[in-house]
Amino acid sequence: MIHLSSFILCLTGFAALAFAMDRPQHDLFGRSLPAPATVALRVGGAASLLGALGLLVTWQGWGLGLVMFSGHTSLGAGLVHGALIVQGRRAARPN
Amino acid sequence: MKTDQQARPDGRGLRQSMSDLHTWVGLLLGWVLYAMFLTGTVSYFKDELSQWMRPELPAQSGVPDQAVVAQRVADELVTLVPGSPQWSLRLPDARNNSVYAFWRTAGAAPGQRGFGEGNFDPATGQTVSSRATLGGDFFYRFHFQFHYMPVVWGRWIAGIAAMFMLVAIVSGVITHKKIFVDFFTFRWGKGQRSWLDAHNALSVFGLPFHAMITYTGLVTLMALYMPWGQQAGIKTAADRQQLNAELSAFIQPGKPSGEAAPLASIEEMVRHAQERWGRDGVGRVTATHPGDAAARVAVARGDGGRVSMSPQYLEFEGTTGKLLAVHEGVGAAAETRGVLYALHLGRFSDSVTRWLYFLVSLAGTAMVGTGLVMWTVKRRQKLPDPARPHIGFHVVERLNIASIAGLSVAMAAFLWANRLLPETLADRANWEIHSFFIVWALTLLHGVLRPAKKAWVEQLWLAAALLALLPVLNAATTHRPFWRSLAEGDWVFIGMDLMCWALAALHAVLAVRTLRHQPKTRAARKPARETVNKPAGGAVLREG
Repeated sequence: MIHLSSFILCLTGFAALAFAMDRPQHDLFGRSLPAPATVALRVGGAASLLGALGLLVTWQGWGLGLVMFSGHTSLGAGLVHGALIVQGRRAARPN
Repeated sequence: MKTDQQARPDGRGLRQSMSDLHTWVGLLLGWVLYAMFLTGTVSYFKDELSQWMRPELPAQSGVPDQAVVAQRVADELVTLVPGSPQWSLRLPDARNNSVYAFWRTAGAAPGQRGFGEGNFDPATGQTVSSRATLGGDFFYRFHFQFHYMPVVWGRWIAGIAAMFMLVAIVSGVITHKKIFVDFFTFRWGKGQRSWLDAHNALSVFGLPFHAMITYTGLVTLMALYMPWGQQAGIKTAADRQQLNAELSAFIQPGKPSGEAAPLASIEEMVRHAQERWGRDGVGRVTATHPGDAAARVAVARGDGGRVSMSPQYLEFEGTTGKLLAVHEGVGAAAETRGVLYALHLGRFSDSVTRWLYFLVSLAGTAMVGTGLVMWTVKRRQKLPDPARPHIGFHVVERLNIASIAGLSVAMAAFLWANRLLPETLADRANWEIHSFFIVWALTLLHGVLRPAKKAWVEQLWLAAALLALLPVLNAATTHRPFWRSLAEGDWVFIGMDLMCWALAALHAVLAVRTLRHQPKTRAARKPARETVNKPAGGAVLREG
């Protein structure tokens, strides 16, 4: 359960951080988001990642917690990246 | 591999130098690294692989009481190897359904094998009669010492390759100047750019793991690579004994008394350890001079749940079962090594963490693979005549085919050999391994003889077919087909079958993509029909 919560936090964290970046904003929304929204996404994303770290470290201590956090962040970032690619391909395909 | 567009015209910038270093360090031992990465990746499931490769051993529904099992096998060893100066048992746990025992043989003449090993059934204590196989340990051992060569040579090659990898990681990070800006960048269908983006994503997302695994890999064998500190500091036999005690729970046999005395209850000793570390928390039981009045027994803690390989063990007097010493901590230097060692092997992992290790390590394998392929993608565009590339290009292209697609074929073939070789075959375990290398050599031959693109596609399809049909072969040759595993909740066999199908699908996708691929630069200049049969090896993702 802690694994699942941490993974979801990493996934949403990286998704928020991705949406805070210029290129994905243009690809998804066709324009840059207003600066406050970008800042909010960035802060929210970072908080989400820290939340996952907090959960894991509280559960398993620093040694095992950090190892698990590293795995969840890698997988979370990879899946967000994969989703952006799939979304980009769909958008590029003429209907 | 990113070039610095703003490099100073009057000199080569740091980034350009690092880029060149990254390219060549990555290429030179890239094929070795790819094989190390992939076999290392599957080794995270080596115990499950071993269970699959010994289908005669029944699936384990729960971990049996380790104390009872230890006593059972210890009793069996009394009759099986009487007078052995030392034996050691790896007890069953959540991932192992057998007891692995290792023993020294009494009075072995010089030049004779002075030790033996075997797997025992936890339920009966008897030797298990399963097919002779090295199981998942083959990939594990190959990962750091290869095969058909002295172990030390293999380990040196692995060490040099790991050092190259470390240099490639550091130079790669310096070369990739926009790690954060390009974090989620992937430019589809842009040829070399797409390859670079894929290589970067695979590298950056798993960067903490890649750096850790490479560095800790070197640490696991540091005493071989840099023995001088140890040689200077450890001079006497007592020092050496102290060092051994800090590194492993294998207690060294002292002098036997010559007076016969049976071992006290091993079950009681393991119970003692269970009280301390939990019911399934015992890893290993070692006895020295069992049957002698000077016998000693060490009961060591398992690896589960603790990020350190430093030994923790209870030492008992063999004949009375009296607790002599509790070893639960080592010095700071030994503990540093213990933690780094544990991080590499990941044996502390629960199943979710193990899967994370596996997936990120697979990304590392793909990182090395995309790096190797990119070398050819980048250079193909500059070839004067792509139909007749220069020798260097030719060599890299063909080695890429055999070491990437060919390795998948060979690894699948190893598992096929496990199911197909007759159980009565002499030297059977070794023939499984020979099969692996024979098939791998054939993929190299095939890669050299066929046009590059066809070789890629054919080998990827072959790997996909071998993997997809492995569960079918398993169903036909064992009593544990997929539906039965499913009905019985046998997760090792279910997982293996599902994994084979998933990997088969991956290889099929790569094969289709390679087949459809047409090099963009050439296609732009020539009519499409002419380019269809042009060799375009190395392109696994579609560029166009």
